[in-house]
Amino acid sequence: MALLLNAEHAFGLEDFESTTKIVKFAIVPKKHEEPDQSPKEELMSFEAAMLPHLDAAHNLARWLLRNEQDAQDVVQEAYLRAFKSFGGFHGSNGRAWLLTIVRNTSYTLLKKNHAVDLTTTFDEEIHGSGHESVSPATILEHAEDAELVKEAMDELPAEFREILALRHQEGLSYKEIADIAQIPLGTVMSRLARARDKLKECLAARIGKEK
Amino acid sequence: MNCEETTKLMDGYLDGELDPITSQAIEQHLRECHNCDQAYKTQRSLIRAIGNATPYYKAPSELRERIQSSLRKEMAERPTRSVARDVQPLFSRRQPQPRTIGWETSWNWLALAAAVIFAAIIAWNLGPRLQRPGANQFLATQLIASHVRSLMANHLTDVGSSDQHTVKPWLDAKLDFAPAVVDLSNEGFPLIGGRLDYLDNRAVAALIYQRRKHFINLFVWPAAPDETRTPKTITRQGYQLLHWVESDLNYWAVSDINEKELQEFKQLFEEQSVPH
Repeated sequence: MALLLNAEHAFGLEDFESTTKIVKFAIVPKKHEEPDQSPKEELMSFEAAMLPHLDAAHNLARWLLRNEQDAQDVVQEAYLRAFKSFGGFHGSNGRAWLLTIVRNTSYTLLKKNHAVDLTTTFDEEIHGSGHESVSPATILEHAEDAELVKEAMDELPAEFREILALRHQEGLSYKEIADIAQIPLGTVMSRLARARDKLKECLAARIGKEK
Repeated sequence: MNCEETTKLMDGYLDGELDPITSQAIEQHLRECHNCDQAYKTQRSLIRAIGNATPYYKAPSELRERIQSSLRKEMAERPTRSVARDVQPLFSRRQPQPRTIGWETSWNWLALAAAVIFAAIIAWNLGPRLQRPGANQFLATQLIASHVRSLMANHLTDVGSSDQHTVKPWLDAKLDFAPAVVDLSNEGFPLIGGRLDYLDNRAVAALIYQRRKHFINLFVWPAAPDETRTPKTITRQGYQLLHWVESDLNYWAVSDINEKELQEFKQLFEEQSVPH
């Protein structure tokens, strides 16, 4: 690294000879308002802006992919992609921006593995019966059982897992969710309601079986 | 708000994502409907419990290290990308940049030129339409804003009455001039009421008339001595503005009804408001 920086300085002196270039550097405000950052500086500002959201990124990928190794690969890939297009990011919501990339990268992998269950129609044999007798109060009793909730969540289609993680765990607003999941704002509430209903059904089905 | 609507909006309400007015309507319904209130409380506890119980997958520390090292690798590779010779990686790093900046410059200049031309076109088109572009345009904007606000904020009238003998004394007491108030119910423009408003740096009277489902705000205030007396119409943002001066009072009628009807309204108003 030190070698690189030194070399760069040396170059700066060399460049002094061609005045036109210097003038251009001096008067033109760059379009993206990014100061002439050295790659090192850019990396540092990227890390400062994006690494705090690593847990959120990992959590989302983990829920989408349901597999630790895939989740890590996707997050790493997403950070690389984000770094490459960081110059184009001028928003204030770094977390939402990063999560959008994580989400898209996750879906790419899901599709590649033919594991996309975006709008999976529910298997009525498993989920359609057996839980009608389970009352909301009973569900509530079991709803704090982390293992049970995890299993029930993992059964849901990806679009439901994603929206539940974004809302319940990251506490994101509907607007942020709409941006990340790339759906109209008006769809967020109804999808969230359906996701919660399905989760309750899955919980009920599991509780019913245990009985 | 009924049970069905409440159920539909329940999640938005629980998440605090509804506008205040809808939230209030739901709260009102929950106070009145035991079943919905129960459903709300159950759903709230459930969401809370599920939220707490859902495992949160924190990133393992080795992932952070992996990412940081891959970013450094990417950064190190970046400058030498598309370089033919390894001997002078430094030149290749800097050289493409001036060209990029040159491009950006010309785009900046083009954008500036486009903006100037665009502004000129707008000024050219809007200028002749308004005799005193600056002042009138500003007033027109204010008038439309007042009109829209009166319909939006549920504050159409301060004194809601179709009786001109109620509205007029109320306004007279609040203002330093006495606007004519007439009811035009028989002519299809019933008087809805009166309101105080603030326009053109002074308190003005607003008379509200209705035409079918549409409302007309008629703003009245004393005319300046140099006020142009010729009536004029302005169409902006889908609103009609009609201006005239009568008995040293300024009249501005603002509505979304068509110009013909607004002219008719003006004529009727003038006929009926002839000083007794």
